[in-house]
Amino acid sequence: MNPILEVRDVRKSYGDFVAVGGVSMSVPPGSIFGLLGPNGAGKTSTIRMIMNITAPDTGEIHVFGHPRKPDDLRRIGYLPEERGLYRKMTVTDQLLFLGEIRGLKRAALGPEIDRWLGRVDLTKWAKSKIEELSKGMQQKVQLIGTVLHKPDLLILDEPFSGLDPINQELFRELLQDYRSQGKSVVLSTHGMELAERMCDQICLISNGKTVLDGDLKEIKRRLGGNSFRVVAEGDLDRLRTMPEVEHATVQDGEVKLMLRPDADGAETLRQMIGFLKVREFRSEEPELEQIFMKAVRDAA
Amino acid sequence: MRLENVFVVLKREYLQRVKNKGFWIATLAVPLFASAVTILPTLLISKSHTNQTIVVVDATGQGVAEALKAQVAKTAAAKSKEAAAAPTRRRGPGKGESRLADFTIETQTPAADPQAQRRELDARVRNGKGKVDAWMWLGPGVLKEEPAEYHARNTTNFLTQDTLRGDLSEVVRRTRLRLAGIDPARMEELTKRVELDAVQVPGTGASGGGVAGLIFAVVLFFLLYMSILIWGQQVMMGVLEEKGTRVIEVLISAITPFELMMGKLLGICLVGLTQLGIWLGTVLVLTAPGIVATMAFLPPGVSMPTLTIGMMLNLAFLFILGFFAYATFYAAIGASFNNLQEAQQVSSVGVIFVVAPAMVLNSVINDPSSTMAVAMSLFPLFTPLIMPLRIALEMPPVWQLALAYVLTLAFVTGMIWICSRIYRVGILMYGKKPTIKEIWRWAWYT
Repeated sequence: MNPILEVRDVRKSYGDFVAVGGVSMSVPPGSIFGLLGPNGAGKTSTIRMIMNITAPDTGEIHVFGHPRKPDDLRRIGYLPEERGLYRKMTVTDQLLFLGEIRGLKRAALGPEIDRWLGRVDLTKWAKSKIEELSKGMQQKVQLIGTVLHKPDLLILDEPFSGLDPINQELFRELLQDYRSQGKSVVLSTHGMELAERMCDQICLISNGKTVLDGDLKEIKRRLGGNSFRVVAEGDLDRLRTMPEVEHATVQDGEVKLMLRPDADGAETLRQMIGFLKVREFRSEEPELEQIFMKAVRDAA
Repeated sequence: MRLENVFVVLKREYLQRVKNKGFWIATLAVPLFASAVTILPTLLISKSHTNQTIVVVDATGQGVAEALKAQVAKTAAAKSKEAAAAPTRRRGPGKGESRLADFTIETQTPAADPQAQRRELDARVRNGKGKVDAWMWLGPGVLKEEPAEYHARNTTNFLTQDTLRGDLSEVVRRTRLRLAGIDPARMEELTKRVELDAVQVPGTGASGGGVAGLIFAVVLFFLLYMSILIWGQQVMMGVLEEKGTRVIEVLISAITPFELMMGKLLGICLVGLTQLGIWLGTVLVLTAPGIVATMAFLPPGVSMPTLTIGMMLNLAFLFILGFFAYATFYAAIGASFNNLQEAQQVSSVGVIFVVAPAMVLNSVINDPSSTMAVAMSLFPLFTPLIMPLRIALEMPPVWQLALAYVLTLAFVTGMIWICSRIYRVGILMYGKKPTIKEIWRWAWYT
């Protein structure tokens, strides 16, 4: 299937500073795509280039199967990282305006806005000014503004920042609904746990470069063959010093262990028994966070 | 450019501002304040009118008290006649209406015992018996240089005393003339003041002329001056807000920066026109001949200028041009900088051009057709302020008006072109404060 969005080796520098030094990604239709990376990795810079807010120095951006044209942007819903709302406008006026600049008619917008406000539990705030709303509520208003014109592609920059777990869950449901209509969502986040729960596809960038790209399950399978869960007593920190161990997370007597691809699990266990009282040793799918840490380290 | 996009932005800019309470407070405050300053004092004085009953003891032996009584009655009669004749346009002095006090005079001759008579009069004033407010003693010396005595409960009523003094002086003056063998009527006829009747030659302007025309022109000048500055700055604030809140990033995925800028400029321009319309409408109502005459605000011999449709149209067009000349500049400034502090340093440059016409205001008023006034009114940045002033004072020749329009229109078109290019680049630039050189370069990016 043709990707709905394709970014090909895009680069952007500001003077000597390289913000994006070669990002490529491919978003299939009907997917939730996570653009992941630590702070300052170049996620927002990449998104701003996709949205034609800044122009890439080199590289290509294709949307809906062709090089991006200005009109394509009207089929994309974009949620910037910072609140993109007029502070003095009421919620309803704001949403009417956002719909109208996309060519929707006022009469059709009214019921649609009411329906959305009901869904995110903001009906009684409809006549309030944006500045009277909490951050989380503003974020919800903004998400409605992003989806109101039923775009084929949603691009959300850090959509979960400032949301409590209940609203994070609400956002997740809304986005999954969106995907079920065959549309795609690209979201950037540095929260790995969230991305793991939500995304089918990921692109991991670090220092302005793509370090990992593809189907999340496939990536886990490919990179997670050597992950183990260990429950043991003794000097657990010593595990980190073992040459076979790529990465170890120790918590409450439990260790998440990621071995080098060429390391042998059984051999590692044998050595471990030498200094630990091992209760449990089990092969396990790695967490995205571990993959992320490893990938970032490898790239460096 | 999609016009419907411009319209959506225009609508938002207009409605958001017009729906704001602050807009109405500011819009209504200006005419209210102006009326308060001009009308209220007149109104208050006319409401503080008093009517005093005065007993006048005439010791001059020349019938001064009787003459005073007649004089007071005459002015009262003249006043009621004028009131009946309103609202026709008055010519010449209309003394009756500026009087602050009327008097009822009771005359007495000096009694055999003056001290007893004085005590009795004091008692009448004290008790308010027979509603006597004051008594006067006119000694024979009054006809020379001595003052007349005025005994009253209250001696700080300067305005009342002033009126009384005027009437008394008039009567005493006539008596003195008569005693010197001169006919007072003849004297008055020969020493009459000459009035200047300033009438504008028909077809040279719209105003009724004189002092009122001048005040009107100055008021107009400052209304335009304020509007252009206030609404121009509003454009800058609006652009800064969109940039600061990143609303701009959402907007430009749907519409082009040019559509956004034009929508904003037109919307705010329309707000300014609405406000100006309300202000001019108020002027129109307040200066309607009927109202002014009935309320008697005008000094004698002055007629109020009236706004004509042609003048209104000229004002509206000049406002639009003036607004665009400055607001495009403010839009570019707002787009170029990250916050108000940064922007204000540069935006003050715009203020200089608005203030300059105010500095030459006096010389333009004195001679609206001088070379300097004509040149200033043809310079596009000054046209929107100087031309209305000239129009209000004396209609400029058609060719000057036409040339001014062509030049300003060309200038505004150029401003829109260059500022929209700066706007387009600046609106999406964040980070360090750009230098003027950088901003200038943005205008030439392709």
